[in-house]
Amino acid sequence: MSARGRPSRRGRASRQRLLQRFRIVRLMRSRRGPEPGGGSEEAEVVRRRLGFGFWLAVIWLLAMAFVSLFAPMLPLADPTEVAFGGPRESPSLDAWFGTDALGRDVFARTMHGARISLAVGGFAIVFGMVVGGGMGILAGYYRGRLDQGVGFVFFVLLSFPALVLAILITATLERSLLVVSLTIGILSIAPVGLLARASTLVYAEREFVAAARVLGARHGRIIVRELLPNVVIPMGALTLLGMAVAVVAEGSLAFLGLSVAGDDAISWGKMIVDGAGLRDLQNSTHVAMFPVAVMFLTVLALNFAGDRIRQYFDVKELPF
Amino acid sequence: MARYLVKRLVLLVAVLFAVTFLGFSAMNFLGDPLFNVVGVMAELDCEGIEAGTVEDTSMDRARSDCETVAEARAEYHLDRSVPVRYVLWVSDLATGDLGTSFQNDQPVSQIVREKLPETLILLVMAQIVSLGVAIPWGVIAAYRANRAFDRGSTVASFGLLSVPNFALGVVLLYLFALRWQIFPSAYESETTLGLLFSMILPAVTLGLPLAASYQRLLRTDLITTLQEDFVHMARAKGLPAMRIMFRHALRPSMFSVVTVFGVSTGALIGGSLVVEQIFGIPGIGREIVTAVIRDDFPVVLAIVMLVACTFVVINFLVDLFYSWLDPRVRTR
Repeated sequence: MSARGRPSRRGRASRQRLLQRFRIVRLMRSRRGPEPGGGSEEAEVVRRRLGFGFWLAVIWLLAMAFVSLFAPMLPLADPTEVAFGGPRESPSLDAWFGTDALGRDVFARTMHGARISLAVGGFAIVFGMVVGGGMGILAGYYRGRLDQGVGFVFFVLLSFPALVLAILITATLERSLLVVSLTIGILSIAPVGLLARASTLVYAEREFVAAARVLGARHGRIIVRELLPNVVIPMGALTLLGMAVAVVAEGSLAFLGLSVAGDDAISWGKMIVDGAGLRDLQNSTHVAMFPVAVMFLTVLALNFAGDRIRQYFDVKELPF
Repeated sequence: MARYLVKRLVLLVAVLFAVTFLGFSAMNFLGDPLFNVVGVMAELDCEGIEAGTVEDTSMDRARSDCETVAEARAEYHLDRSVPVRYVLWVSDLATGDLGTSFQNDQPVSQIVREKLPETLILLVMAQIVSLGVAIPWGVIAAYRANRAFDRGSTVASFGLLSVPNFALGVVLLYLFALRWQIFPSAYESETTLGLLFSMILPAVTLGLPLAASYQRLLRTDLITTLQEDFVHMARAKGLPAMRIMFRHALRPSMFSVVTVFGVSTGALIGGSLVVEQIFGIPGIGREIVTAVIRDDFPVVLAIVMLVACTFVVINFLVDLFYSWLDPRVRTR
C-alpha cells in the first residue's frame, strides 16, 4: 500500500489511537466519555460514549456469569431432581418459574443452564481468538504463500453453513462438553482470523514496525511485541459479539439434541425444546418461555454491550 | 473479466475439493470408517461367522448383517487405500451416487429428492419474507434517518437479531398457532395452497432476523446514496419523495444486501434445520437431525456435502453477479 508517502496522516492516526487508550482510563474515572474536540464529527462524539444501556447489559452479564460460576453453591432447588410441587406447576413464590413436565424447578434449571451456554460461548471465542487470531496474524505478517494457504483454509471453513459443519463434527464424535466447545470454537476461527489478518496488514505497514525491524528485532519479537498488542484491540472489541453468536450456536445444537449429552447437562436450548411440544406449549407455556426470555436477554446483552464496545473502539462491523 | 472468471473458477473447484475432503476425513479419520457407515454392525466377527467358528444366538440375522457390512465395504471402497478411496468416493458423489442409508436401505439420493422440495420452498419463502420486509422498512428508516421511526426501528432490528431462531420459532408457534390460531400448528401437504399457508410461520421465523440485518445494511447504504447529486437533482425536479426513494435511490443502494445474500443463505440453511424441527416440516434439515441421532452417518455426510457444495456454488454465483454489478470488485 502507498501509506508510506503520507507521514502526516499516519501521525494523526497514531495520535488518535493514543487518545483512545486515554479515553478508556478517563471513562473509568468519570464515565463522561471523551471531550467533544476529540472526534472529527459530532456523530462520532455521541458514539464514543458507552451509555446507560451498556452498563445495564454489563450488569446482566455479570449476574449471569456469577450465577453460572456459583450455581451449585446458591440456594437453588436441585435442577435434576423432582421438586416438591407436581409436574407443570405454574410459577409461584416457591418455584419462581414453575416446574416442568417432570416436576423439576424451571428457575433452578434456567440458572444452571447458563453454565453450559456461557462456558461453551466463552471457550469457543477464546479458542477462535487464539487459533484464528494466531493464523490471521501470521498470514498478515508473512504474506505470500502462507497468506494464501491460510486464506484458503478460512474460505473453506466459511463455505460450510455454520450449523451444518457443527453437525458433521458432532455426528462422529461423542457429544461431551469439550467436543461441543471445540466444534463451536472451530466455527469462530475463520471470522476472527480474517479480522486479525486485516488489522495485521494495516499495522505491518506502520513506522513502528519498520523501526523495530531496523533495530534488528526478529520476526517473533515484532509479532509479539509490536503487532499483537495492536491487533488484540479490535479482536477484543468483538469478543462479546462473537460470544453471542457462539451462545446461539450452542443453543441451536442443544435444541436439536446435539449438544452436550446427558441428563445433568442442562442447557437453555434443551430446556426450550423440552417445553416446545404442542401440548406443553398450550398448557404450560412457562416451561419454554422462561428459558426463552433469559436466553434472549443474555444474547441481547452480549450483542448490545458488544456493539457499544465495537463502536467505542471504532472497529468495523463484520459481514457475518 | 475473463481472467477474473478463470481465477474464480479455479478457486471454486479448489474449494469444492476441500469441502469434499473435509467430509471424507470426517468419515474416515474421526472414528472407524466402517463403524461410521454401518454402526454397531461393524463389530461383528464376520469371518468367524462365515467359517462357523463363532456361535451367535441368531445366525440368520448375523449373516444378513454381515452381508450389509460387506455391501458397505464395497460401497465405500473400504478395502482400498485412503487416497484411492477418496477419489472413488468423490467420483461416486459427482455422479449422484450418494450412498445408501444402512438404517433403512434407502438410497440417499432418493431421500434427498423426496425431502429437498420442502426445504427449498421454505428457503425461498424466507428470502421473500425478509426482502419484502427489509426493503420498505429500510427505505422508510433511511427517509427519516435519526427520527423517531428510525430510532425505534434500530432498537427493533437489534432485538430481532438477538433472538435465536429456535426461540423465535417457539414464540411465534405459541402466539400465532396456539393462542390466536391464525396459522396451522402442524405441517399440511394435501393442497399446494395449504402447504404454502402452513409454511408462512416457519418462513417468517427464518426471515425476520434476516430482514433485520438486511434493513441495517440497506439503511446505511441508502443514507449515503441520498447525499448523491442525482438524488438532489431528482428532488429539484420535484419528483415525489417515495418515487425518488424506490426508483432512484434503492437500486444503487442494494450492493451490501446482494453481497450478504450469499452468506445469509448459509445462515438460512442452518436456521432451517431448527425451524423444520419446530414446525414439523419433513425437509432436509429434519432428515439430517434424525440421521445424526440414529447414527445414520451416510445420510448425514451426503446431506452435508450436498448442502455445502450448493452453498459454495451459490456464493460463487453471487460473487459473479456482484462483480458484474460493480466492476471495481474484479480488481480487488
